[in-house]
Amino acid sequence: MEFLAYFGGVFEPLSLLLLIGGTVGGLILGATPGLSPTMAVALLIPFTFHLSPTQGLILLGAAYTSTVAGGAVSAILLKIPGAPANIATSLDGNAMAKNGEGARALHLSFLSSGIGGVTGVMLLIFLTPVLASWALEFGPSELFWISILGVTVIGSLDSKSFVKGLLSGCIGLWLSTIGYDDNLGVPRFIFSDSLTGGINIIAALIGLFAIPQVLDMFSKGRQSRDIEQIEVPKHPISKSVGELRRSGRALSIGTIIGSIIGLIPGVGGQIAGLVAYDQSRKFSSQREKFGTGHGEGVIAAESANNAMVGPSLVPLLTLSIPGSPTAAVLLGGLLIHGIFPGSDLFEKHPDVAWTFINSMLIGQILMVIFGIYTAAWAARIARAPMPIMAAAVMVLALFGSYSVQQSMGDVYIMLSLGIGMYFLEKFGFSAAPLVLGLILGPIAEANFIQGSLIANAQNGPFEYFMTGTLNVLLITLVVVSIAYSFWSNMIQGRTSTLAEEAG
Amino acid sequence: MRNWIKGLTMGAAAAAAIATAAWAADFPDRPIGVAVSYGAGGATDFQARIVTMVAGNEEYFGQPMYIVNKPGAGGRVGWNWFANEADADGYMMSAYNVPHFIAQSIKGGVSYSADSFEPVANWGADPAVIVVGNDSEFNTIGDMVDFAKENPGKVTLSGAGLFVGHHIAALQLEKETGAKFAYIPTKGGGAAAMKAVIAGDVMGGINNLSDAFRAREAGNVKILAVADLERNQEFLPDVPTLMEAGYDVDDASVNFRGLMVKKGTPQEVIDKLAAKAPEMFANDRVTKRMKAGGSPVRIMSREEVQAMWKKRQESLKELLAGL
Amino acid sequence: MDTSRLQHTFAAVFIFVIAVVVAWISFYQEPADAFLFPRLISVFFAGLAAWNLVRAVAGMAKVGDGMSADTFLKILPGLVIAFVYVFFAARFLGFYLSSWVTFLLLYTLYDPLSPVNVQGWVKRIIVTTCFMVVMYGLFALLLKVQTPRGIWF
Repeated sequence: MEFLAYFGGVFEPLSLLLLIGGTVGGLILGATPGLSPTMAVALLIPFTFHLSPTQGLILLGAAYTSTVAGGAVSAILLKIPGAPANIATSLDGNAMAKNGEGARALHLSFLSSGIGGVTGVMLLIFLTPVLASWALEFGPSELFWISILGVTVIGSLDSKSFVKGLLSGCIGLWLSTIGYDDNLGVPRFIFSDSLTGGINIIAALIGLFAIPQVLDMFSKGRQSRDIEQIEVPKHPISKSVGELRRSGRALSIGTIIGSIIGLIPGVGGQIAGLVAYDQSRKFSSQREKFGTGHGEGVIAAESANNAMVGPSLVPLLTLSIPGSPTAAVLLGGLLIHGIFPGSDLFEKHPDVAWTFINSMLIGQILMVIFGIYTAAWAARIARAPMPIMAAAVMVLALFGSYSVQQSMGDVYIMLSLGIGMYFLEKFGFSAAPLVLGLILGPIAEANFIQGSLIANAQNGPFEYFMTGTLNVLLITLVVVSIAYSFWSNMIQGRTSTLAEEAG
Repeated sequence: MRNWIKGLTMGAAAAAAIATAAWAADFPDRPIGVAVSYGAGGATDFQARIVTMVAGNEEYFGQPMYIVNKPGAGGRVGWNWFANEADADGYMMSAYNVPHFIAQSIKGGVSYSADSFEPVANWGADPAVIVVGNDSEFNTIGDMVDFAKENPGKVTLSGAGLFVGHHIAALQLEKETGAKFAYIPTKGGGAAAMKAVIAGDVMGGINNLSDAFRAREAGNVKILAVADLERNQEFLPDVPTLMEAGYDVDDASVNFRGLMVKKGTPQEVIDKLAAKAPEMFANDRVTKRMKAGGSPVRIMSREEVQAMWKKRQESLKELLAGL
Repeated sequence: MDTSRLQHTFAAVFIFVIAVVVAWISFYQEPADAFLFPRLISVFFAGLAAWNLVRAVAGMAKVGDGMSADTFLKILPGLVIAFVYVFFAARFLGFYLSSWVTFLLLYTLYDPLSPVNVQGWVKRIIVTTCFMVVMYGLFALLLKVQTPRGIWF
């Protein structure tokens, strides 16, 4: 309960101002296409030069939590996920916004982000020492199996066709190998100069999700005004709270999965949302509604996203090992002020450490308040007339993909992938499993290579990859996951043939 | 069609170059970019952000510098981009890491060499150190080398990639002692390599002095030796050099960091950058932040860096010849 | 064979060809060490693509509506504008100018109001300009992204 003693620091006038500024700024930065939380936090680091360590960290902590949630805004309204974390949010969230329920989607997203986020920070506060040693258990072999486990989700992520889901995943895995090989620096599959840097995940996300959507709007052609106006009922917040209470299962699945995955160094943040989305669909009684604007989809994805924030900092704060790119940037923010995280951080600099954590806690709550207040207003964006929306998303896609690393190559890749994805979608392939492949490919490859090298110095790959409690557990999960996918696919296939016969 | 575009691009670039030469006196009249070939949060990125933070002051450049991260393949992606695509007008610089980019260009497969770039100034030098986990049975570098001699290829050492300073240090140590190590390149820079050591995935590692110093402060590792000519008095006065431990390994693996521009940049622009950059690195606020972060500062002028690049080029060619 | 089946077969063949090319490159390029992982993937990729092809030929591929000529004609103008915008205009005209033009063109092209309506033009130019001012504020002023300037801006 030591953290309670340091709440005072958060409520000093300047600190509170920074907290509010960080939250609002974070929401805006997070909602900007092309700006991942990592980059947003890196952009804020120079501001902390002029602040005391505690104040600087208040700003960074608030900004980190709110950029993750802010990414959901563009995912819902524009179908441009701000970061890999928000992919799953766009699946149901954007469908809701298109049905005129943008406010509902935003409410649910902010509320579940807040609940997930507070739970995650609570874990950070109370269980850090226990969790720290657990996070270290994940070596190359375990991380390899985790990424394979993630790949097995691919087949079921695409609700329509099992084969095409897996095939989309394979395309993603292949795309991830384009560019220079990380270890030996060998060029692979570089057909054009733009590809030498490989495929940047943020630029790819913008292309794969935003561009097909723009083309889809084009395909509707000129429409007369009255068709596109959807009747939008007012959406009171009490209704959203009620829906959240009824969706306890999705909320708890999201929060638990987000917290666990967030701990795993190097994998966490990017796939938490997708895995939680997939799991809550599997356990849901209204499985077929997912993807059409179902509340549970948004709730599971967003609670997982923010639940991961707290635990992802555990390895950083206790072992000085950044578990994610954003944590690495935060480490820089600490170092600039001469604070070295480590097991004695909470003894040496309790004021800094606890104020930082508290600011994330308060930041979550502020974020929910601001998010809810602006939701009704922001939701109007999704109701902009089709031609404006299409043109705006197109321009945003260009600026967003360029600003990732100021490279025209990324912009070319963005549009090419986007146009390709539009045609693939027409034939039943989908972007979500493809992106999951793109994210997991490098993780699987790096850990496979690294693990093999270590294994060769020890007793061979079999013992290294196949033994050990955690390895065996993960392999079992992989097998179960594949078996489940096959089984549910067969059931689905049988029911649909039966339906056809009956019809 | 493509050639037509290329021609136009080159024409535009040429026109821009002429225009820049004419306006070099006013340089810089807009913010200057610094391309960092490693990800946000890495040691190079972190230091580049600190040393460029006062660029906007009137006594230096009067224009801010901004960082662009282009990570991938141990830095190759970023430097390839810089050599191929960046404009040679001084408005886009790059942070160099020696020996990394020189060793990579000697190994081949990249579109740059030491001759593709013009150094501006050097801000830091981070020696490679040899670390082991806190519970390791190795207490001196001698223990480790002896064990490796008895068990060839069994000692796993993590490092930030192939043909970076860490790898060079491992190669030098192997060459000097005749022992065989299993060098494990990790993805994700020094931080990932350090994680492998702390978690016990590997028996030891070669890492940056700054990262190792922090890890030792946090009570996670032991530092056995530093691959430099002298001990680091500021951060690790108690750690012997490899020379002191009886192994003839010089400072070829020390990770020098600084700024460079593309060859073909107008001489006036280079001169202006080279004159002001060392002063900027020596700014009180910069050195204070660098020290706070455990990053060793070594400021070198353009001439000194040119000599250093030349020396590295020769010694690395010799070292990598047998591979 | 109906059009949908034909289209699905065509798409499946296309993917299968890509998979085979990927597999071929993975297995024949050196050094083998760097292509270890691509080899692993390409085996699965080619296998699944073959399965997908068999399903498509057998008429079992039902998911996805395929492309109709009508849809294609509707997206074609927008696609051409997007293509020119991203691959040519952005760099030569500068990001802000080319975006202004593209926004206005796309808006006009798909606006239900007739292109000869004067009031419609005024409205469209105002909306476009407002949007670009927001873009400039966000990317140039707030985030300080240096975008290609091209010939003008």
